[in-house]
Amino acid sequence: MLKPVLIAGAAALALSATGAAFAQDPVALVIAQGGLGDQSYNDLAHQGFMAATEETGVEGRVLESRDVVAQGEQILRRAAESDFGLVVDLEYAHGEVMEAVAPDYPDTEFVVLNQVREGDNITSVLFSEHEGSYLAGALAAMVTTNTDIPGINEDANIGVIGGTRSVGIDKFLVGFVQGAREINPDVQVQVAYANTFGDPATGQQMAEAMFENGADIVYQVAGGTGLGVIQAAEAAGHYAIGVDTDQDGLAPGHVLTSMIKRVDVAVADVVEAYAGGSLEGGQVRNYSLADNGVGLSEMIHTRDLLPADYLARIDELRDGIIAGDIVVVNVIEDGYPDFFQ
Amino acid sequence: MLDNVLHAAILATTPILLAALGGLINRQAGIVNIGLEAMMLSGALAALIAAHVSGSWEVGLLAAAVAGLISAAPLSILVTRFGANEIVAGLGLNVLIAGLIGYLLSDFYGVSGTLRLMPVPTLPRIDLPFIAGVPVLGAILSGKDVLTWAAWILVPLTALLLTRTRIGLRLRACGSSPATANSVGLSVPNLRDGATLAAGALAGLGGAALSLGLVGLFSEGLTGGRGFIALAAFYFGRNRPWPTAFACILFGFFDAAQIRLQGGGLPPELVQVLPYAVVILALTLASWRRRRGPSPEP
Repeated sequence: MLKPVLIAGAAALALSATGAAFAQDPVALVIAQGGLGDQSYNDLAHQGFMAATEETGVEGRVLESRDVVAQGEQILRRAAESDFGLVVDLEYAHGEVMEAVAPDYPDTEFVVLNQVREGDNITSVLFSEHEGSYLAGALAAMVTTNTDIPGINEDANIGVIGGTRSVGIDKFLVGFVQGAREINPDVQVQVAYANTFGDPATGQQMAEAMFENGADIVYQVAGGTGLGVIQAAEAAGHYAIGVDTDQDGLAPGHVLTSMIKRVDVAVADVVEAYAGGSLEGGQVRNYSLADNGVGLSEMIHTRDLLPADYLARIDELRDGIIAGDIVVVNVIEDGYPDFFQ
Repeated sequence: MLDNVLHAAILATTPILLAALGGLINRQAGIVNIGLEAMMLSGALAALIAAHVSGSWEVGLLAAAVAGLISAAPLSILVTRFGANEIVAGLGLNVLIAGLIGYLLSDFYGVSGTLRLMPVPTLPRIDLPFIAGVPVLGAILSGKDVLTWAAWILVPLTALLLTRTRIGLRLRACGSSPATANSVGLSVPNLRDGATLAAGALAGLGGAALSLGLVGLFSEGLTGGRGFIALAAFYFGRNRPWPTAFACILFGFFDAAQIRLQGGGLPPELVQVLPYAVVILALTLASWRRRRGPSPEP
């Protein structure tokens, strides 16, 4: 039998009756710890999921669990046995389980985020957080010496706070440091780890310590702990840089920018590809600067504070990365560079 | 550098000290309060919501004390009236309150994990005019919020309460010999209830020190085990106010120092355990000293 050539997208769905009967099966989204309403990762993914299911007409259902980390295997097996054709799992801790479960359900497609997992029916989704963080670092290095901007001292001194010390987090940190050094090789970047993603009081104290040490901009890569960083920036009249979603509005005027990961775009793409019959397992989908998978926020609260040439320079660097003229270190693939040990 | 560490250490000590003072009163009356963490958490949430709704931090503090007291009530009743094991009941309370708060957040505010309410009046910091400029002394005394002052004033007051007042002596009688206390006509359950409720109110204020004093928001992980540090502190201090306060400030100091030591070339994981290691070391030393030397009273 000849398989019709399908183009990814909504239009193709109506034609898929012959080639891909499975495409009619409903799709599931497994919500990660933190749950819906986190105003961050889960909510953003959910938005993309809802938009894509509505657009393609595929039935979508959201799976939430009180104890999502420990119940990984049950959740995935139950989803596969309930005739879901596609299971998008947002929980990072399910990666290993998915590798074990997926071979038992060859008719179901699985999607895992932020990691690469092997399997003919597993699609891995990655984000180039290092590229977005590079732009954030570059902007911070430009701003940190411009005393015309309120709350900025003359020291070339910025900070970054990671949730835990792991390659997944250091991917952000190294990109940030590299971007800052591109602008000013002598910039001092204070690096610290909170060792928790859920303790804003610790984040707040760490940011305060960095401000005392001369920093005026601190990038937070620490989830709920990072909310304390933003709070500290507002209280001290300095700046934080948000992460994952657009956090600029959390303390308007005190979040310089946010390094956004478009989880919504990624999830919507996967669902649309599935609906269109073009989703092939065993592949890695990467979302980078080039396809707007990562990038800086619109800076609606801070844009007016910045000289126009700063933003032009950021665009230039962005184009350079996309064109391949600038190579940003990805610690997961390339290992640690000399400037970050 | 030292000034910054001292300033941060004292602010970070306040929540722990308030909870620890409550815990030691409770312990003197004969109940080990494992539920301090839960009482802090409910106090932190109540303080934020009340301060936001009323526009006044004073109302926030009141709500924190009341919320801590209310969450302490079931623990106390279970232990004093129904003979429940205090450790089990305390742990149960921690689980119960964490679950209830998660439910409240998602049901009423549609959020999970973190609650931000804008605007919220945070605790004002009191700058002392002349002292502020003095090195060390300025860092210790100036720029502190009302709860910090209250916590440190409560240290000698608690000592006085326990050793020089009728109620204090009765509380201690309940703790050291409940049978004797009972035989002279004291109501041990009532006195213990009072002590637990007081601990709840103080721990609730400790929670407010986090949500209104330090961060200005609430999150499920806001207390981050500080209730258990408070527990360790009054164990170290053998239920006496000054040594307990010393344990609290010791932890606060090394916690503040830890944050500033990162990036100094040492691995962060190692630096982060420093405050905990110091507390364990101090606890060990204290118990070693107790075995050796003559036991001071009380």
